[in-house]
Amino acid sequence: MGDAEGFLGLSVALTGYDRASLWSTGCVPAYRKQLDAVAGPALADRLDHIGGMLGALPPGPAVDALIREEVLSDADLGPLARSLIQLWYLGQWTPMPQDWIDRNGAKREDTARIVSTRAYREGLVWDAIGAHPMGAKPQGFGAWAEEPPSETVR
Amino acid sequence: MSEMHYDAVIVGAGISGALIAKQLAAKGRNVLILEAGADGGAEASTYRSYVDAYHLTEVKVPNSPYPANPSAPSPSVLDVGPIAPGRPDTAGYFVQNGPNPFRSNYTRVTGGTMMHWLGTCLRMQPNDFRTRSAYGQGVDWPLSYDDLAPWYERAEWEIGVSGDKSENEFGGIHFSKDYDFPMEPIPKSFSDRWFEEGVRGMEVALPNGETKTLSVSTTPQGRNSTPRKGSYKVGGEKQPPYGAAGATGAYAFQGQRCEGNSSCVPICPIQAKYNALKTLSQALRQKGRVEIRSQSVVSKIETDGATGRVTGVVYKRYEFPGAPAWEMKRVTADAYVLATNAIENAKLALASGLCPTSGQLGRNLMDHPYVMVWGRAPRPVGPFRGPGSTASFPDFRDGGFRTKKAAVRLELANWGWNFAANAPYSDVARLVEGEYLFGPELRARLRDEVQHQVRIGIMPEQLPSALNRVSVNPAYRDSLGEPRPVLDYAVDAYSRAGVLQGMDICQQIFQRLGIENRSTYDPNDPGYVSEAGRGFVYFGAGHNAGTHRIGASRHDSVTDLDGRSWDHDNLWLVGCGAMPTIATSNPTLTMTALVLKAAAGLERALEGKS
Repeated sequence: MGDAEGFLGLSVALTGYDRASLWSTGCVPAYRKQLDAVAGPALADRLDHIGGMLGALPPGPAVDALIREEVLSDADLGPLARSLIQLWYLGQWTPMPQDWIDRNGAKREDTARIVSTRAYREGLVWDAIGAHPMGAKPQGFGAWAEEPPSETVR
Repeated sequence: MSEMHYDAVIVGAGISGALIAKQLAAKGRNVLILEAGADGGAEASTYRSYVDAYHLTEVKVPNSPYPANPSAPSPSVLDVGPIAPGRPDTAGYFVQNGPNPFRSNYTRVTGGTMMHWLGTCLRMQPNDFRTRSAYGQGVDWPLSYDDLAPWYERAEWEIGVSGDKSENEFGGIHFSKDYDFPMEPIPKSFSDRWFEEGVRGMEVALPNGETKTLSVSTTPQGRNSTPRKGSYKVGGEKQPPYGAAGATGAYAFQGQRCEGNSSCVPICPIQAKYNALKTLSQALRQKGRVEIRSQSVVSKIETDGATGRVTGVVYKRYEFPGAPAWEMKRVTADAYVLATNAIENAKLALASGLCPTSGQLGRNLMDHPYVMVWGRAPRPVGPFRGPGSTASFPDFRDGGFRTKKAAVRLELANWGWNFAANAPYSDVARLVEGEYLFGPELRARLRDEVQHQVRIGIMPEQLPSALNRVSVNPAYRDSLGEPRPVLDYAVDAYSRAGVLQGMDICQQIFQRLGIENRSTYDPNDPGYVSEAGRGFVYFGAGHNAGTHRIGASRHDSVTDLDGRSWDHDNLWLVGCGAMPTIATSNPTLTMTALVLKAAAGLERALEGKS
């Protein structure tokens, strides 16, 4: 395993959140470890390589095309990518489908679970929906009476 | 063989037991509380571990934060399955005979089920105390709204209720002129106000000819806002300005105003919401001596055959949850109080052969069979912020229609489709696994889908029925050899008809506000029932009530007005089990009022003795 550049490039493209947002969750090492453990060395290398290419591209149609062609529609990489998105958004790993397991083997780490209390609190979904994680990062007394935050996405 | 003799032994360290302990100890009494659950909550580290467990649990249900305890098991809403006729569902702690599953739970832990209540503190309406006289349904209470009003006031000040009198004077509810809630109201959510604006002046014509004008009322809540400055008369007695109760133990610096953690159920991370640990810690500071003995499962209430008086309590003390052995112990007192919850109280009393005269012990089990209606609003409404519910439509909590169908409270929810459809988890899964979205598009769609989520909960009253009951059967026991509760339960046509009327009203509201209805009810769900050809799914509200009702006569009730057993002179049964009917209000406040009344009666009885 080298540095996290490939993993970050992939994660930024898949989540729609920039590198600073992802780093600041403190979850990069844990999520990378989780992904690599389930993927195994060969698939992890492929994802790393694609992630490196994605990281070098400006956001836009080229990124989208690369993701759809090389990752999401790939029988081995697609399920991993979809689980990685959900890991980032929910802090929770989604196990591989059976046909993936038939091809790549069962992995001990491939279980449905919330990775850590930090992972729960840092789930991107709460920011995406304009709220905060339930039971953490409260917005303050009466915040719920305010107009919902703007729908603009950076 | 006996240990120290107490003025009172209380079974259960939840809100009821804690309040009675506090009241008695204020008079200098020596009180022992026996708690079946593991020691917990009062230590900051334990409370923090509850919050962590909630964050780490994939399926976040009310009991998620509280560790499973094989020595004192609790029912879980996840245990509920379909029930085949003649074949009880024994998968969980309950043994469920059906025909419908009882879907509510409770928590056997120090602090009790109040650890995960929502905090709703509604009073019952005057007609709720006399549904037999007014509508020919249910039973009349042995007391009126006006009789209970001073106790409601005391209960609101004990719990620390934030509320607004003017928005809660409906259906005959009235407040004393020189009384007010101890704290300013919790602000309505943005979506509450959006509904309020949208339905302004809207009239709903009911099939029986009644017409109701809709209103949105702020809900009185047991969570801290800002204490009112003035001094008020509470239960007729002048009180100094209210001082809010913060958190307990090493967390005492917290627990101030609600910060909007949006997790009241199953746990408030900062204890801004009232929980019974607060009252327990107050009880320990009174002049009398209060001792809490946890990991102590009461096994038998012993009585004298000749006098009927309780002579002692036998309990099993286990060293740690799941311990393979336990120690049998016995304590004695002048007075004994069962303060567990409607189901455990009835179970323990039945297993001990208590209260036989009326035949009502264990019967009349009630809940609010909770039905949800949800949809997509035409604009973002800011869900997943603040307390779970801050307002409701109170207009159908009473009316002439109650001769035929249940009254309902329509509760506005603040957490989108969380309870209804497991949002936002299900939204992420659907968009990623079903629509193959990623990146900025995924982010934008999540915002769009979730921001528009609205939901209304329908809480119908359930009539007392002798057939809905708790019983014990020697064939079903837990790991300590204690009986598991056996439940017979049905949601009858009266409640179902009320739900259907409530669903129709919700659809009219949706039509008026341009909300797309997205409610779906899975016929395979264990809570799926139908009425008049229309199906829906009910859930439990956690409002277990009715199993040892108060009454005016020993022939149709288990205890007198003060919770004192008709059959056992020195035994009190308190909690939601005391309620003859459940009406449409969450029962905690009414229960608390009754508990405070019972505590006063109990103190009088102890004085008479000494």
